[in-house]
Amino acid sequence: MLLVLVLGALALLTVSFRSPTSGPLHDVQGYGSAALRPFQVAAERVARPFRDAYGYFAGLAHAKSENEKLRRELRDANAIANANLANARQAEALKKLLNFEGGATYPKDYRPVNTTVISYPSSSFAQVVTIAAGSHSGIRVNTPVITADGLIGRVANVGPQTASVTLLTDPDNNVPARDVSSGVSGLIRHGQGSTLVFDRVSKDQIVKRGDLIVTQGTIDRRYPSVYPYGLSIGRVLNVGSTDIATFLTVTVTPFARFDSLDAVAALVSTKKR
Amino acid sequence: MSALNGFKAAVLLFVAAILQVSIFAQVHILGGVPDLVLVMLVGVALLRGSVPGAIGGFFAGLIVDTATLGQLGLTSLVLTIAGYWIGRYGETTGRDRAHAPFTSVAVITVLFSVGVLVVHFVLGERAPAGDVFRGLLPAIFLNLVLTAPVYALVRRLLRPVDRSDYATEVQLLG
Repeated sequence: MLLVLVLGALALLTVSFRSPTSGPLHDVQGYGSAALRPFQVAAERVARPFRDAYGYFAGLAHAKSENEKLRRELRDANAIANANLANARQAEALKKLLNFEGGATYPKDYRPVNTTVISYPSSSFAQVVTIAAGSHSGIRVNTPVITADGLIGRVANVGPQTASVTLLTDPDNNVPARDVSSGVSGLIRHGQGSTLVFDRVSKDQIVKRGDLIVTQGTIDRRYPSVYPYGLSIGRVLNVGSTDIATFLTVTVTPFARFDSLDAVAALVSTKKR
Repeated sequence: MSALNGFKAAVLLFVAAILQVSIFAQVHILGGVPDLVLVMLVGVALLRGSVPGAIGGFFAGLIVDTATLGQLGLTSLVLTIAGYWIGRYGETTGRDRAHAPFTSVAVITVLFSVGVLVVHFVLGERAPAGDVFRGLLPAIFLNLVLTAPVYALVRRLLRPVDRSDYATEVQLLG
């Protein structure tokens, strides 16, 4: 029995590894994922108030002293606040997203598919989240995904009603980007901790602290970029260089908070292929 | 294993897999992430034996890989072996010792992490051994915290198998 199961797992692994984003097995996995989605959404919703309550009380741990009346009032307020916090946070994120989608910086030829994150990176092997929208909403592999703050990554795998998104913090994710102030181009990739690196910028270029970094978009129509021009990525934190390095060392603080993703939007191209 | 017990074990592992990908995967404490599926599998395998352990591991892994749209079969492969191995320990007289579930969880947490690392490495994918080993001790601690309530729940729902039911019980010395 062990042998049968191990061989079964190896067979699945082989087929899945050979064609990770297409084929019958991928379709079955997509439908399986869609079937599991309601359970994931339900679990996430049940857990959200507890998570928010945990976050709230963790913050309170550093508070010094309060009198008894204030504490009692605080407990009462917490009870009410915890009940509403989950919905309020999501509403706030969605409102910000809606403002961005109605704003002047929203890219042309793209329509937003607003959705939520339903599962988070479960290991340090890949920085991937799962979102509650898939090919039925028009999402394809490489569709860019944003929050109201900025770009968070691109779709790596898609099922009918779910899709996995590789975050900018994943080592395999490189995004062509541009410094808005100087027009210098480079590649955004993951850096130390929660920062990003604006790489491939030669030493004769000028990049300053505080410069805004956005996606570069398509330069040559023959080689279209998966990211439209102008999606905010982050701000330059510091610029350094060494004698032996060919490129500048540019550290970027991302606008998006990858540790608390909730409401996101996938940008589906409206151009006919 | 009776059909009812099999159904109960399947439900337990299914719920554990859903909770893992939806909730527990976000719990990062000191760099470690608790693994409810692994702890639940240890409980099922210790109480039901090697074959149910292997089958449970296979299907729990399949649910995790499906829900996260991950590499299908990867988690199944490692959890199958983990379930079988813990099940074998459960078929020895050592299973009755109070520390058996805790020892099993600690050991299998290490072996599971190393196993997944090795499979990623063999597939030519990124295998950050440093990150994995840095998060190992906190992960063991978090899994041990989960062990007592989870094992109590599994033990309550799945009646321990009579010793006479084991075809090949192994007498542990010492």
